[in-house]
Amino acid sequence: MAAVTVPLERVDAGATKAASANAILVVDDIVKRFETPDGVLTAVDHVSLSVAPGEFLGVIGPSGCGKSTLFNVIGGLLDGYDGSVKVAGERLRGPHPSIGMIFQEESTFPWRNVLDNVAFPLEIAGLPKAERYDRARHFVKLVGLDGFERRYPAELSGGMRQRVSMARTLAAQPKILLMDEPFAALDEQTRLLLGDKVLQIQQQLKQTTLLITHNITEAVQLSDRILVMTYRPGKVKRMVEVNLPRPRTSEIVSSEAFGRYVAQIWGDLREEASRGLEDEEGRKLREGEKP
Amino acid sequence: MAETGRLSLPATRPLGLPLHPVTALRIAIVVAVVVIWEAVSASGLLYRDVVPSLVAIARALYTTLSDPTFYFHLYTTFYEIGIAMVIGGLSGLAVGILLGGSKFMARAYEAYLYYLGPCPKIIFFPIMIMWFGVGPGSKVAMGAISCFFPVALNVAGGMREIDNVLIRVGRSFRANTWQMVTKIYLPAMRHPVINGVRLGLGVALIGTLLAETKLSNRGIGFLVIQAYSIFNMPQMYALLIILFVIAIGANSLIGRVGGLDQIKHS
Amino acid sequence: MSAAATTLAGSKLAGNKYAPMALGLLSLVVLIALIEGLIRLGVINRFIVPMPSDIIAAFPRVIAEEQVLHRFLLTAGESFAACILVTIFGVGGGVLLYRYHLLRLATETWVAAIAAAPLVLMYPLYLVIFGRSALTIVMMGFSAGLAPIILKTLEGLSGTRRVLINVGKSFNLTPGQQFWKILFPAALPTIFVGLRLGLIFALINIVGVEFLINFGGLGQLINELAERYDLPGTYAAICFVILVSVCVFIIMERLERWLRPVD
Repeated sequence: MAAVTVPLERVDAGATKAASANAILVVDDIVKRFETPDGVLTAVDHVSLSVAPGEFLGVIGPSGCGKSTLFNVIGGLLDGYDGSVKVAGERLRGPHPSIGMIFQEESTFPWRNVLDNVAFPLEIAGLPKAERYDRARHFVKLVGLDGFERRYPAELSGGMRQRVSMARTLAAQPKILLMDEPFAALDEQTRLLLGDKVLQIQQQLKQTTLLITHNITEAVQLSDRILVMTYRPGKVKRMVEVNLPRPRTSEIVSSEAFGRYVAQIWGDLREEASRGLEDEEGRKLREGEKP
Repeated sequence: MAETGRLSLPATRPLGLPLHPVTALRIAIVVAVVVIWEAVSASGLLYRDVVPSLVAIARALYTTLSDPTFYFHLYTTFYEIGIAMVIGGLSGLAVGILLGGSKFMARAYEAYLYYLGPCPKIIFFPIMIMWFGVGPGSKVAMGAISCFFPVALNVAGGMREIDNVLIRVGRSFRANTWQMVTKIYLPAMRHPVINGVRLGLGVALIGTLLAETKLSNRGIGFLVIQAYSIFNMPQMYALLIILFVIAIGANSLIGRVGGLDQIKHS
Repeated sequence: MSAAATTLAGSKLAGNKYAPMALGLLSLVVLIALIEGLIRLGVINRFIVPMPSDIIAAFPRVIAEEQVLHRFLLTAGESFAACILVTIFGVGGGVLLYRYHLLRLATETWVAAIAAAPLVLMYPLYLVIFGRSALTIVMMGFSAGLAPIILKTLEGLSGTRRVLINVGKSFNLTPGQQFWKILFPAALPTIFVGLRLGLIFALINIVGVEFLINFGGLGQLINELAERYDLPGTYAAICFVILVSVCVFIIMERLERWLRPVD
């Protein structure tokens, strides 16, 4: 099946208009700049997107395209930007209760066991103990870690720890799940298997999800739509509708249609990625030459 | 990264020797020291009682430990150090959190702590006497200012070393300030805090005891200087031995408490 | 102004390199002025806390009358001697323990225990053994600084990454070459940490013991002035010692940075 793509000029209008009717998350014209010793850096340059309830949106781009900045903006951890982020019509003012974040780095609390880690958001929200642990146990089971409740993160593998982080965020039952390269630290096989888990969970919970990644396979495997970003300053390059059948499993990676999607996205990304590489090398050269 | 690597010999006794080699070496070292000591003591090489016979020291140890007034002095010293640790420790924790949490504050004030830290606090003792009198007050003050610096510096450093992602997790779940401090900052810093307390205890001990040797009529420090002034060497050695055992014991106790979750800590 | 630009402007002030330092200095000046004011108003007892202006006035007097330079050189000399001794025996001891595994296994915990013990309390003992002289002071400094240096040297050497050792082996280096070209340079940063720690302990003990036994250089000066009830002088001398201590550590840091350019 041929990939349906939306040409560049119509991206913004198309993305916002098509979904804004029932969009639960609307990101409108975000511009975020940073002051660095080398001058003003524009990380995100007029990016807009919207996510419908139950939808899985992937955002992909080369390293340095401002994906993580976007992640932190939508998550409410960064401010000082132009434009707006609205959740169910309500404008963002710091981390929104309906948004759950899963970070790229190791983020489990090493001093708490699995169950206490997952119960953390419920503890913060002030839920009574019994209810807290009940709910936590449910989500520990959901990610497939039942039996490990009393273990500590140090005793688990990387993939298991990421599942704990996931369970922790899901336990808060956010309307929107925001993930920033959650599997970046894992090996390929673990990634694919965890991708399966994510698909399973998302289908079960009908969870609205926004996934930020640099991994094309992962993006195509999991997403309904994919937003391709340019290298810094990050703009939307293309919106891709992924018309692969649901429910999906990791077996989809061997299908022909899958291959074509990946090829097309790589075609878009390649020139952005190589610009990024040249830029990085040039910067390191200049740094080394400084007295 | 670099913990003193734990090299290990096989747990079982190699070559069918009666003793594990490490134990054998330790015994050998101890025996050698004892022999040399007694030899020097008996030979009268050094002035009179400078190296008293181990028997004499043992006797002094026994006398001291069975003397009730000794425990009065011990209690005084403990009491002074205890209060000093509470005052110095809590204020160190507060200041450390403040400095570690704000880059601006750290750049403004941390240098003062960093450079005052290595300064020998005993030189402040005359001032402490003026302010707090010749009684326990000045000793507590000495212990407290000694203890404050390592705790504050370690806590400030510990705050900065907290994995940033853990703080972001807390914020993404909208934890309030109190929750952030008790559920994220403090647990995440437990190792630097404990090390700071360990160091703090060490220097509080020194500060308080030296103050007692300089000007006091009670406490272990006082006993030490009293033994010196009447040249009762065996007594002095005995007191020093008791002191060192307590200091080393307290240090390793805190260390063990801190390392308790080593297995769980990644 | 857009939100983004406002944040940039705001961060410019907070990001000013000198603002925090200025605040620190300003706070100090304000504090001193406050104390001066409170003393003049009689809120703080003049006989317990001398006026800062008196203390400052005491500086030139102390410097001129009390042969501060001579005392400083004395303390510095003691410190230098202790420094050399403790470096040689500390690093040497660490290397020795690294080289002979059995010895290390037997004694490492003992050395750690000594590092934790309040050795300075043995000063009456050292007085008896070495007499009331500079030797006592040097030996006290030496004793205090030795254990931490041994431990850190050991830590640095055994913490060398396996892969670096394997590189050496792949080039067929002799054990001597392996040590001097790989192990020792790799351990140097940790050894420096140990040296700094050991030196700090040594210096604290040197000035402290000078104060306690009323002999030597700067430590003794403070003690003397205190016994004479020369309050402004005592405070001035304390400030002076702090100043010296600060300078020594700044120099040590510069030295370290010079010897280890990229770290």
